[in-house]
Amino acid sequence: MPLLETREVAKEYHVGDHIVHALRGVSLGIDAGEFVTIVGPSGSGKSTFMHILGCLDRPTRGQYLMNGRDVSTLPPDELARVRNEMLGFVFQGFNLLARTSALENVELPLLYTRRGVVKGSERRRKAMAALEAVGLTDRADHHPNQLSGGQQQRVAIARALVADPSVLLADEPTGNLDTATSHEVMEIFARLRRERGLTIVVITHERDIAAYGSRTIDFRDGRVTSDVHHDQALAEPSLR
Amino acid sequence: MIKRWLSHPYVDLALKALGRNRLQTGLTLLGMTIGVATVLAMMAVGAGAQQSIEQQVRAAGLNQLTVRAGNWRPKVEDTGEAVAHQGDARDTLVLPLYRGDVLPVAFHPEDDPMEKHDHPLARQRLGDLEAGLGSAATLTFDDAEAIKGLPGVQYVAGGVHENARVHFGGKRWFTRMHGTDVEMPSIKRGWMLAEGRFFTRREQDRAEQVLVIGQIVAERLFGAGVKAVGQEVTLWNQPFEVVGVVTSATWVVRPAPGDDQFDAVYMPYTTTHRLLNLSKLNDITITAASSGDVSRLAREITTLLRQRHGIGDDQPDDFTVLTQATKALTTGGLPPSVARAVAGNVAELEKVTLEQLATTLERASRTMTWLLAAVAAVSLVVGGIGIMNITLLSVTERTREIGLRLAVGARSRDVMRQFLIEAVAISLAGGVAGIVLGVIAAALIARTLNWATVVSPLSVLLAFGVAGAVGIFFGWYPARRASQLDPIVALRHE
Repeated sequence: MPLLETREVAKEYHVGDHIVHALRGVSLGIDAGEFVTIVGPSGSGKSTFMHILGCLDRPTRGQYLMNGRDVSTLPPDELARVRNEMLGFVFQGFNLLARTSALENVELPLLYTRRGVVKGSERRRKAMAALEAVGLTDRADHHPNQLSGGQQQRVAIARALVADPSVLLADEPTGNLDTATSHEVMEIFARLRRERGLTIVVITHERDIAAYGSRTIDFRDGRVTSDVHHDQALAEPSLR
Repeated sequence: MIKRWLSHPYVDLALKALGRNRLQTGLTLLGMTIGVATVLAMMAVGAGAQQSIEQQVRAAGLNQLTVRAGNWRPKVEDTGEAVAHQGDARDTLVLPLYRGDVLPVAFHPEDDPMEKHDHPLARQRLGDLEAGLGSAATLTFDDAEAIKGLPGVQYVAGGVHENARVHFGGKRWFTRMHGTDVEMPSIKRGWMLAEGRFFTRREQDRAEQVLVIGQIVAERLFGAGVKAVGQEVTLWNQPFEVVGVVTSATWVVRPAPGDDQFDAVYMPYTTTHRLLNLSKLNDITITAASSGDVSRLAREITTLLRQRHGIGDDQPDDFTVLTQATKALTTGGLPPSVARAVAGNVAELEKVTLEQLATTLERASRTMTWLLAAVAAVSLVVGGIGIMNITLLSVTERTREIGLRLAVGARSRDVMRQFLIEAVAISLAGGVAGIVLGVIAAALIARTLNWATVVSPLSVLLAFGVAGAVGIFFGWYPARRASQLDPIVALRHE
C-alpha cells in the first residue's frame, strides 16, 4: 500500500463564469521513502496537486488516501491535525516569521500538536535537534534578516522536520536561491531521506534539481504526462 | 502564576506580535486607557455623589427626635373625633398645622405684628408661638437629664426659643433666638462653623452673654466677608459677644433667610433663662445612636415624661414627641385629620420614611452613576474601535503568517484565539493603565473641584471586566476573519 495515493483526483475552480480545470483526474501512488520531484510549466496543476497532497486543499472529485485512509473528506480541524502530524512544508519564499529567532521559528509547529501540550523546554530541545539536522545550531538566536537565503531555507526545513512528519512537501524550495545554495538544500533533502526514511515531494521547474529525485513526475494541463523512476544511483548526488 | 501565564505560548506570541507595531499598539492602548479611565472616574464621581447624599441625609437629622412642651392642636380643624393621647408618640401628633387660622394666645413684645420686617418669612414667624400654646412650658432641664439616661440616646439638648431683634451699630435684624445646649453642634451634623467656635460648657454654666450667629444673620448685620467673631451685638438691650458663625456643611441645606437654623442666633439656654427669668424648656432635642431606634425611643420618652410629669392614664400628654417623619407630615401641608390618620395608622412611620427616602435617593444617585458611566462608555466604544482597527491591521499584515500557521497544523480556532488574545491583551493592558489613570483622575477631581469621589473595588473590577469584554467584542470580527482565511490564499498573499 502506498503511503500517499490519489485516485482520479480532479480540482476545478470557478473564475468568474468559467471553470478552470486545474487537475483533470490524477492517479498516483507514492511509497514511503520515495523522493519524488514534480516538474511542469506554470499552470500545469503541479502546485494544486501539491496542495491536495498537503491537505491544504480538497479535491473536487476523486479520493486522496494517506496510509489507506481517505483524507479528502475530513473536516478542516482533522486536516489541520494531519498537516501537523504527518506533513512538513517548505516554501519557495521560506515563510519565516520576521523578528523571531530561528529557534522560535522552528518551534512553531509544536505549538499546534494535539498529542498534548509540548512543554517549553521540550519544544526548545526538539527545535535544537531539528536545527542540528540542517547544521544551523550556531544560528539558533539569529533572526531571519540576519541569515542568508540558504540559511533561511534550512531553518524552514528544520521547521518542517520538528514535529517528526513522515512526508516533506516542498514547493519550489530552490526558487529563490542561487545554484550552489540550491544544491545544498537538495542535498539536505536527500540526506534526510537517506537517514530518516522520509518521503519527500519537491516541486521544481529546474531539471537538474529534479534529478535529485528517485522519481520524477511531469505535469501538463492538469494531467501526469510522464512518471519516471530513476536508478537509485542517480539519486545519489555523489555519483551524478 | 502571572509569569507562567505570560509565558504561555499564545500569550507570548500575542505580546511579541504587539511589540512589532509599537506605535500603533501604543496609540490603541492610549485610546483604551482613556476610555477605561473615563468610565472609572465617572463612576467614582457618581459613587461619590451617592455617598455624599447618604451623608447629607444623615446630617439632615433623620435620627433626631424633638420633645416639645405642650400638646396644642388646632381648634378650627378639630372635628371632635376622640384621639387617645396615651403612651404613643404617634398619637400625639397635635401640632399647629394651619398657623394662619389661629391667633396667638401669648404675646411677646418682640413679636409686634405692626413691626415691618424685611424678610419673607417674618410674618409667618410672628405666628410661630408654639411655646405658649396648649399649655405652659412643661419641660425642665431635669427632664432632659432623665432622657439622657435612656439607652440608645446619643445627645440631648434642651432649648428655649424666642424671636429676637439683634442690633449692630445702626443695623438690626429680626431673627430667631435659640437658647440651647453645648451639645447642639453634635446633634446638628449638617452644621459647620464658618468662623469662631460654639459656646463652651463653662460659658453655659456661667450663663454668659455669648452668641453664635447663623450665617444669614452675620451677613445681614456685618455684611459678607466681614469678621463677625469678637463683635459686640445688642439683643434685648443686652450686650452679647459673637463667638462663632454657623453655616451649613451640606449642599442639601443652604442657609436662607427665615430658615430657623442659619437665620438664627444661639446662646446658652442658661443665659436665656437668666435674662428672661425663665426656668422651663420649650423643647428637648434628642439624637438616637441608631436611626432605627427612633420609634422605640419616642415611646420610651413618652412613658418617661408621663411618669415624671405625673400624668394619669385618663389625661393627655403635656408634651409632644416629634420624629423627623411626623415633622415632615405636619409641615408637609397635609390636612391635619389626614396627617393624624396617617401618623396613627402607619406603624413605625419614620422607619418607613427613612427607608423610602434612602431608597429613593439611592435609586436617583444610582441612575446618575449609570448615566455618567454610559456617557463615559462612549469613549470605551471608541477605544474598542481602535482595538478592532489594530487587530484588523495585524491580520492583514500577517496574512502569510496565518497561512503558514494553518499549514503547520494550526486549526482555525487556534488562529482565532491568537488574535483574540492580542485584542484582549491590549484591552486589558489599557484597562490596567486606565484604572491607574482613572484613580488619579478621581483624586484630582476630588481635589480641584471638591467633588466627592469614591473608587470602589467593585468599580475597578467592573472597569477591568468591561475592558476585557471590549477586547473580546471588538477583537472578535478581525480574529474570525483571520481564522476563516484559506491557507493557500493566505500563503500566497503579498
